Amino acid sequence: APIILSDSPPAAAAGAEPALTAAQKALRSKPARAPEDPDKKNKKLKDVEISFPIVYGTISFWLGKKASEYNSHKWTVYIRSATNEDLSVIVKRVVFQLHPSFTNPTRVVEQPPFELSESGWGEFEIAITLYFHSDVCEKRLDLFHQLKLYPEEDAGPQSTKKPVVVETYDEVVFPEPTEAFFLRVQNHPAATVPRLPPGPMELMSHDKKRFDTKDHSLSQWFSNFSEADELLKLAAARQQVQAHIAKLRRQLSMIEGMPQQSRVISGPGQQFGHG
Amino acid sequence: HPPCRGRKTVRTLTLARSTGVPVLLRPSSMDAKDILGLQKTSFPSAQEKKPRAPKEPQRKPDGVSREVYALTGGVGMAPLMPTIEASHLKRRPAVEKEKVAWQWLPFTSSARTDNLQLYHWVRVVNNVPPTGDYDFAKYNTKVDVLKYTDEEYEKYLTEPTWSREETDQLFELCQRFDLRFIVIADRFPTARSVEDLKSRYYSVTRALLIARARSFDEVAGNPLVKETFNAAHETERKRALSALFSQTKQQERKDAEVLAEAKRIMESRAANKNVEEAGAPTSLPNAAVPADGVSPLSNNLPSSAATHPAAAANTSIPDTLRMLKVYLRTHALDQMVQAVTASAGIRMIKRVDQTLQDLGVNLKPKVPTKAVCAEHLELRNEILTLLNIQKQLQNKEAEVLANRESSFTEAPTTPKVHAEWVTTLFSLCFCVEDI
Repeated sequence: APIILSDSPPAAAAGAEPALTAAQKALRSKPARAPEDPDKKNKKLKDVEISFPIVYGTISFWLGKKASEYNSHKWTVYIRSATNEDLSVIVKRVVFQLHPSFTNPTRVVEQPPFELSESGWGEFEIAITLYFHSDVCEKRLDLFHQLKLYPEEDAGPQSTKKPVVVETYDEVVFPEPTEAFFLRVQNHPAATVPRLPPGPMELMSHDKKRFDTKDHSLSQWFSNFSEADELLKLAAARQQVQAHIAKLRRQLSMIEGMPQQSRVISGPGQQFGHG
Repeated sequence: HPPCRGRKTVRTLTLARSTGVPVLLRPSSMDAKDILGLQKTSFPSAQEKKPRAPKEPQRKPDGVSREVYALTGGVGMAPLMPTIEASHLKRRPAVEKEKVAWQWLPFTSSARTDNLQLYHWVRVVNNVPPTGDYDFAKYNTKVDVLKYTDEEYEKYLTEPTWSREETDQLFELCQRFDLRFIVIADRFPTARSVEDLKSRYYSVTRALLIARARSFDEVAGNPLVKETFNAAHETERKRALSALFSQTKQQERKDAEVLAEAKRIMESRAANKNVEEAGAPTSLPNAAVPADGVSPLSNNLPSSAATHPAAAANTSIPDTLRMLKVYLRTHALDQMVQAVTASAGIRMIKRVDQTLQDLGVNLKPKVPTKAVCAEHLELRNEILTLLNIQKQLQNKEAEVLANRESSFTEAPTTPKVHAEWVTTLFSLCFCVEDI
């Protein structure tokens, strides 16, 4: 059964305090439960999944005139929220592992925006490791992305103005969030909580605005990932398949009913006795 | 012109008639020219005294005949190892170190109980004939058929259906024919089945062994004591075997069809079970369904179709995912796709992927949200169902075709048997609808 929390009215105002009050209210409504549960921090909420849509990838610019043999492109690798919200709500730090030919190939980024800019000439796989806050998750999460500097074969000569952008959409899923974590983030715009109606946007205080990527310098190159297209295509495909299945089933049942030459046909009632 | 007297003569002639102009030493053309009296080409005189054999660019190897070498030019020849040394051929009848002779000698065999004197060829080395028993005596195996005394018979071995005389006769025959029960049954004076005879023999021997042993444990290891002869089982087994052997071709085909059907059902059920991780118990039909056991099969199917849960693949999470505190949506989708296609073969997986491509759907969704992943998984499931039904249809059509062909050559089956068969298929059809 869904947890009572999801039915509680969303917090009217932003900030941690009202959320706690709402939760406390919800807790009080549960029979035989102390309002201040000492295990609240570690209690896992089953059947409640909280996910954070993210986009990660690289943007690389050809250096044009300034390009040398060993320094032909400048590029940025990053991980951002799919809606350009602030990921530091769950992410403590991000570690980018570069090719060993870079000095200090292990680059740690402790603050949003979680990105790294470099320059070079070669394409290689970058390992992006997410470390979460202690109340979110003890385990780290690894992602991999292939840095692409050169455009596709038929794209013509390189230009310094138009970068090569490769982005991947994914979602970070926490299947059994602790109650504390859940309460903290359930209303955050970066989070997706199923069965919860979209809560009011938290009032964007000036500090918070800084950490999202909405006004990022590269935001003009960010791709817009819309699930609508894919859903549409999938729905259409499913319809096709279902129609085909129905057609074949009809054919199958027709064959069953087909009289065969060697049979002594004594009447349908007798043969399809099971009917 | 000198008459053509053969090569040799002509050649000598040619050499002798050297006119100071040196001649080319190639026999055939020289002879011809000599005969015809034509002009001979000239070469420096140094060559005159050369040996008769024409000087070839390189010496012909020994293992190759002249013609072959001339033809091939020495290219592409196998390694010229001698296969048979000519020197060895002469040497064969070598003198052995020992003196071996073959003698016609008498022998005895421990396997013979009469005193028949037989003879055979013996390889005698250095005048010492071989010793030891006849080589083949060891193959004369004998069975230890126990002999009981009157007292023992009275005490342990009496049996209402067997008289003393019969038991004695049985044991005598067993001894004589080394427990070849088919022969014994044949020779047995009163009519008794093989199982009956075996039963009596084994029970008597077992009782004797146990009675004679000081303790049960002593003979507990003996196979005669460990296992008892199950006459009923044997009779049944032989009956079944002969029934199978005398099956008509059509019956055989029917059996195969039913078994294949059962197998397919079980497989599809296993596949569904994998996906669902259903707690609902699915009643599995007996795998070994004989031709006349078709009705239990059809009875089982509707019930399992009913318990078949609605395909809710997105609520069943593979165990590997449950363990993770955090994971990526794409990883979760991969795991679930693998779980679905686990039971399908590699060919099926490829066909599903191909179908997805044909429908214009990405094999891996570009925007893997929860909803998109769920839809994607559903689509994959539906494609699997589609492919399975396609296969069923193909099989059915092939079967109809085969039936049609066979109906011209074989006697028609009884309506009753056929009705049962059709019933199964029809109920199967229903279940397919329910899924």
